[in-house]
Amino acid sequence: MILDLVSMLLIAAGLLFFVGAAVGLVRFPDFYTRMHAAGKGDTLSSLLVISGFALHEFKDFEGMDFILALKLLAICVFIMMTSPTSTHALIDAGYEDGIEPVIAPDAENVLGDPTSRQP
Amino acid sequence: MIVAFDIIILIFLVITAVISLRVRDLLGATMVLSIYSFLMCLLWAEMGAVDVAFTEAAVGAGVSTVFLIATIYHTRRHSSD
Amino acid sequence: MKWIGLIAVVLTGALLLSAVGDFPDFGDPKSPANGGVGDFSVSQYYITHTEQDTKVPNVVTAVLADYRGYDTMFETTVIFIAGIGIIAILRSHPPGGRRGPAHPIDATVDGDHQRIIIGITCRIMIPIIQIFALYVVAHGHHSPGGGFQGGVMLGASFILIGLSRDLQAALARFSERRFIVLACLGVAIYAGFGLLCLLLERNFLDYGVLDGFFHTDPVMARSHGIFAVEVGVAFTVTAIMFAIYANLSSKGRLDEGL
Repeated sequence: MILDLVSMLLIAAGLLFFVGAAVGLVRFPDFYTRMHAAGKGDTLSSLLVISGFALHEFKDFEGMDFILALKLLAICVFIMMTSPTSTHALIDAGYEDGIEPVIAPDAENVLGDPTSRQP
Repeated sequence: MIVAFDIIILIFLVITAVISLRVRDLLGATMVLSIYSFLMCLLWAEMGAVDVAFTEAAVGAGVSTVFLIATIYHTRRHSSD
Repeated sequence: MKWIGLIAVVLTGALLLSAVGDFPDFGDPKSPANGGVGDFSVSQYYITHTEQDTKVPNVVTAVLADYRGYDTMFETTVIFIAGIGIIAILRSHPPGGRRGPAHPIDATVDGDHQRIIIGITCRIMIPIIQIFALYVVAHGHHSPGGGFQGGVMLGASFILIGLSRDLQAALARFSERRFIVLACLGVAIYAGFGLLCLLLERNFLDYGVLDGFFHTDPVMARSHGIFAVEVGVAFTVTAIMFAIYANLSSKGRLDEGL
């Protein structure tokens, strides 16, 4: 019962973060902030939803359920490693391609001049 | 098999198919095509044909996207028609 | 030209849609596939007899590699021909014939520190992907999977080496000679097992006769025969997937990738 409730809470929180990631992807102004929303929100919400599934399968403490939950946790580990790396690779490619971030008029562009970047 | 889920996926399939034909930017069309493959994979998994869904996920959404991007990299990115 | 294309598409679509009317209804128990033709039903036969005929729990694998093995053999051949065609069209040898890698094989090529994160992650993930691919090939009897899926994943792991580091790093592990030999070997394994059954005076790809070869009873011999041809499919698909990537990404010169 408690495990059921916890898994439901985890899945609901994951869906909430998915909505946040989707809204951020549409509403943020430039490439870098959009990738920030997509990368972070997607990773966290996938982890939450899949660990919620794992907990839901795990509740009977039987042999096959345990193996299924273990497989789901393996997917969690896979996502935790690959999703941030792919976000990093995309942002790195965008930076090398010279995509300009949207910044306030009086702020300093910490990424530097796009023409001086090494491709 | 859930009919409502099927219908939603089929509608999205038609939308992604039309978009991937209409988009001029071939890189974007490739990405939409990969979404199409993924939706196809979902549809097959939901219908119970897990083997076919597995193949579609590996070939359609995975490797063929890499092939298309490799081809676009060496040719032109924008379609002329 | 556009109008001709449009007319052709509309005509083909109309023909296909008119053919849809001849299909049996969805889930119709009287349709030929579900068994209404006489007292013999194809799918009922597969569902009830696969376990006792071949000892393979996954009906799809048994149908694919045993009952319809001839079909799958030519699917493998189609993939083989497609890959050989792409190699034949794209492969070009630059004048002067550069030998060996263009630059040293290293994770941190040209001092690009940004690549370290991607390189290390891929270095951790690639062995896991390859082991999972081999599991998919070997476990196709019991779970979804088989030669095609496992072969594509194994090929994708080599593509990942080529993407995350360099095409030369991938070619050092899976050279051109090796992938062409492996592609031919896969088809040869598949056709060879079929031929072996023919030589033992049974039908082509009738693995039941190979019980002496596998040292088991005829039923288990069919299960082992399915595994053998799945390995052949996996060889061909792995080699062809990587061959297509290597030729497409380097314009057929196999010197440097994307």
